Formats: sequence, structure tokens, C-alpha cells
Amino acid sequence: MFRWKKLGKIFTPQDIQTRWWVKEFAQAPCTLLFENFVRVYFSCRPLPDKNRQYVSYTSFVDLNRKDLFEIVNIGKSPILNLGEAGTFDEFGIYPTSVIRNGEEVWAYYGGWTRCESVPFNVAIGLAISRDNGVTFRKLGNGPILSYSVNEPFIISGPKIRIFNNLWHLWYIAGKKWVVADERLEPVYKIRMATSSDGIHWMKFDKDIIENKVEEDEAQASPDVFFFEGKYHMFFCYRYSTNYRGKEKGYRIGYAYSSDLSHWVRDDSRAGIDISQEGWDSEMICYPHVFELDNSIYMFYLGNQVGRFGFGLAKLEDYRSL
Amino acid sequence: MKWKKLGKIFDPTKYQLANNCLEFAQAPQALVFGDYVRIYFSTREKDKTGKYLSHISFIEMDKDFKTIINISANTVIELGSLGCFDEHGIFPLNIMRDGERILGYIGGWSRRVSVSVETSIGLAISDDDGVTFKRVGNGPVLTSSLNEPFLVGDPFVTKYISTYHMWYIYGVKWIDEPTKARKERVYKIGHAVSDDGISWQKTSRQLISDKLSPKECQALPTVIKFNNKYHMYFCYRQATDFRKNKENAYRIGYAVSEDLSSWNRDDDHAGIAVSEGEWDSDMLCYPHAFQCEEKIYMLYNGNEFGRLGFGLAVLE
Repeated sequence: MFRWKKLGKIFTPQDIQTRWWVKEFAQAPCTLLFENFVRVYFSCRPLPDKNRQYVSYTSFVDLNRKDLFEIVNIGKSPILNLGEAGTFDEFGIYPTSVIRNGEEVWAYYGGWTRCESVPFNVAIGLAISRDNGVTFRKLGNGPILSYSVNEPFIISGPKIRIFNNLWHLWYIAGKKWVVADERLEPVYKIRMATSSDGIHWMKFDKDIIENKVEEDEAQASPDVFFFEGKYHMFFCYRYSTNYRGKEKGYRIGYAYSSDLSHWVRDDSRAGIDISQEGWDSEMICYPHVFELDNSIYMFYLGNQVGRFGFGLAKLEDYRSL
Repeated sequence: MKWKKLGKIFDPTKYQLANNCLEFAQAPQALVFGDYVRIYFSTREKDKTGKYLSHISFIEMDKDFKTIINISANTVIELGSLGCFDEHGIFPLNIMRDGERILGYIGGWSRRVSVSVETSIGLAISDDDGVTFKRVGNGPVLTSSLNEPFLVGDPFVTKYISTYHMWYIYGVKWIDEPTKARKERVYKIGHAVSDDGISWQKTSRQLISDKLSPKECQALPTVIKFNNKYHMYFCYRQATDFRKNKENAYRIGYAVSEDLSSWNRDDDHAGIAVSEGEWDSDMLCYPHAFQCEEKIYMLYNGNEFGRLGFGLAVLE
């Protein structure tokens, strides 16, 4: 059982006036630790175009390591440009997950394209930084993880980890599009793949987290960390339709594993839920858990999937069962 | 090598086709039976927005290729589900006998917003001698990757010893010229191998050298073995102004290999060219080579990418 204490909202994109790509949304926070600061990557959006359509970029803020409420630096440009015409990441780079690999920082990201019959499709790309994560260069114009026989679309939500010298990628794969109130809503499930080099991946080819609220439950943001002898996954889930409000919106779920491949879902141990009021009173989603100076923290999004930024919680208590 | 043209053998506008298809019989693919040959092709329906959907149909012909003895009246394979790679068309369906079953490799098309289409390759299997096919899954078996970023299509699969070989095309560029209404694509021929026909390893390099320019488009490879060599036919064209301008339109190219790995392009020996005043006077495309009763044949499309059907040639 985890018990998290909410510390409040850390970052509000609407407060930033000097970055054209940070107007709304600060989604899918992900950390990279430095000696004096914590770099938090997030995905953000300029104002929508005349057809009310958005593109997403990934950017970062640096937080004072001794006081995570103090912003000490903001990225001076998006970490990556959008892709060329026809490529998988032409319309968005969201979300992004980073990891150190020797002197380099590797970023795995969901690249968005727009479709005619459904609104979008996503595949996972890889970019590499040689300047400590300020700028990145794509490894190629195509994705490193794309569609396959049982994963027909929406390969997204990468979370990259190395455990026992093996690269692990947790991600989501689309199952189907459901139609509700003339809207198309994607259903996706948490999946995983492993690799010896971070580039060539072997998919597990199965859903690893059982459903809770319904068969068409959508699951996202599978964030894994090792703690007290076990692997823990925090993720988020929602109903397939009418999920933009409180009742059927995102909540944070939890699963644990001793071998990284078999996962036991037990949301009752997640220890964090929506608040009575405020910025995370309707939904809570896109968790990212990290250890910093002997404490465990969670960044997460609130209402409207991070339209107004991300907040922080600190682990107060953990009891293994 | 020299091909003798036997003329156009099928005109889709003269027959009743399933799925409301009226025109086009593209990328013909042969499946040889005891006393007849079935030829699958892609034909088109217009949807309610006026855009095309490509469906698979087939005809069956006597082995003298003079008489059509049957036309498929029903759907051979459904189009893909909502949001899937083959939702808006199958072109081609490459057919391969594999023991008792028949494999159908799907060139699947789905529409995009900033560019017209994206493609990937899927697999469907027939247990009724190729009359109908069912997918092994809703997703593709071969799709975009780091250096093949889009437009993976035009599968041709065959088995040598115990290895499945796939030749296919992959996109390298969408040419975005501000003065042109639409973006045009550039694609090249690639190769992949597999032990089971489902899980593929790409060779990850351009297999056939360019002749026209780096923007040359290469399409629909077909490979056949005879005289101890592997012979590849394909079509190629300029990247732009290729629909109406005969000079830029598709022609049939040729390459030869002794080891399935290195290919020597030699279009001078393709042995087939456009014919003045004929149905294939401006364009030659989508070749499919096959063997039937000790002879080597080539099915192919002519003008307008096969709007009015396909023809046949025999190797002399």
C-alpha cells in the first residue's frame, strides 16, 4: 500500500509568456536528474490552428533540486522539430520518455500523424541528445516501434527503463476505435517490449494489465520503478466514452511484479485519487514516479489531461503486503 | 530476353464485378490450378465522398488464356477495420501457395490528411483454395521503420528452400512543391526475409539502383527463377507529371541476381516496351511473372494504370 501526499501544482503553461510552443497543456511529465536541478520534460501545445487543431511539442523546465517548486530554467526551444510531410511524427511529439545511455540522453516519443477516417495515429520514435538533453536528433525519419499484426494502430505512451542490463519499453497499443455521440474514441492497452540495444525491439505481443472498469477501458502511461524488492507500475485508465468529465475520466491505477513480465493489478494500493476540489478534482493521470535524495515523488496531471499543467506528490508511507 | 505480347485479356468495364466496382483491374496476380489459371486483381469502387476504394476480385481462365470461365461474384477479402492500415483499399493482393493453404499478402491503403495515403503490408490466409481470405490480425506484418518511414507496400512473396522472401517498396520522400496541389511520393524496392511468413527481417537497403534520377519511383517487383538465375521485373517512372505525360510514365524494368542478395539492373534486357496505337501505348506497369505449363508469362497493366484492364505476354 502506497500513501501519497499531494504537494500541489508545480507548473502551469499559461504562466509562460515567452515560449510560443508553451501556450496550453503540459502533459506526460518525465524527469532527468542533474546535480543541482531536476529536468522535467513535458509535452505542450501552441494555440490551435484555424481549424481548431493542435500540434504537440516536447519541451522542458528545470526545477531546483532542493526546492522542486522553484523553476530555474525553461527550455529555449522544443527538443525536436515535427517530422517531414508524410512521416509518423508530422503533427505531434507526445509523450516523451528519456533515459541516460552513457554520455548521451535517449528520448523515446510518440509521434502523431493525422488520418482521414479516424483523427490520428501514433508510432514511437527515438532521438538522441549529446548535450545533456537540451537538443535531440532523430535517429531516422521513421519510427523504431510501429504497428504489427496484433497492434494495428496507436503505438504510443513510451516509458523507457533499463533493468538487469535489458532495455524495457512499456507502451500502449490501440485495440479499436469506438463511436459515441458521433465521436471516435480510441481504446488502448498497456503492452511491453524488450531490447538489448534500445533500437531493435521484441514485443511481448500481449496485454499485460487486466481491465477493471470495462472491457474497452483505455490504459495509459505505464510508469515502472523498482522499490523495496519489487517492480511497481503506476498508470492511468479511463472509460472508453464520455471520459472528459469527472465520472468516467482518468484515474491512477497500480500493478506490481517480481519478474517484470507478470503483473498483478491492485488499484486499491495506488494511494492517490482525485481531490475534492481544485486542479485535479475531475481526473488524475499520466503518473511518473522517481526517486530523489531518498524520497519517492510522483508527477501527475489533473483535469483536462494536463491542460493547466502538472503537479507533484510525495510518498509518505509504503507497506508491502 | 524477349516477350511476345498476347494482347489485353481482361477489360473490367465489360463485366459485372462485386463490391460495386466499375473500372480498374490492376496488379494482376496469377494462381495456377490443374486446368485453369485464376488471376486476382484490384478493382475500384467510388465511395460516397467520390474517392476510390480498391477491392480484390478475380477471374479464371483456360490455360490458353483465351476464355474467361469464371468471375468472382463475392467478396474475396473484406477491407480493413476502422483506423487500420488497409481500411481504404487492397492493392495488390499477392498470392502464394504454401502447402495446403494459400497466403495473400495485402498491400493495404489508408487515407491521410497532409499526404494522400499511407500503406503497409498485411497477411491473410485462405483455407478454401483462394476463394476467400481471412487476416491473421488487424495490423500489418511489414510497416514503417527507422529508415523506411512510410509507404511500405507492393508485396511480392515467394519461398526459396525454407526461407520466405518478400520484395516490396518503401517510401523515401513526399515531394512538397508549393506550386503543386498534391504531394507526390518517391519509393524504392526493398527486400525482407522470414522463417514463417509472418515475422520479417528487413534487409534495410535500396535493392535496385536508380536509372532516371534519385527521385525515380520503383514499384511492384516480381521475381521468378529460371535458367539458374533470379529475374526481377518491376515498373519505374519519374516522380512528377507521370499520369498524362507518356515520357514520364511507368515502364517495365529488369534486374538479375544469382544469389538473391545483389541485383544487377539491366533494363535493356527487360524485353518488353510500349506499343504504338495499342492499349499499352503510353504506359507499362505492375508486372507479374509466373510459370504455367512450361512457359513463362507476364501479366501487366497498360495505359491509365490499368483502368481498362490487363494484358499478357509470354517469354520467347
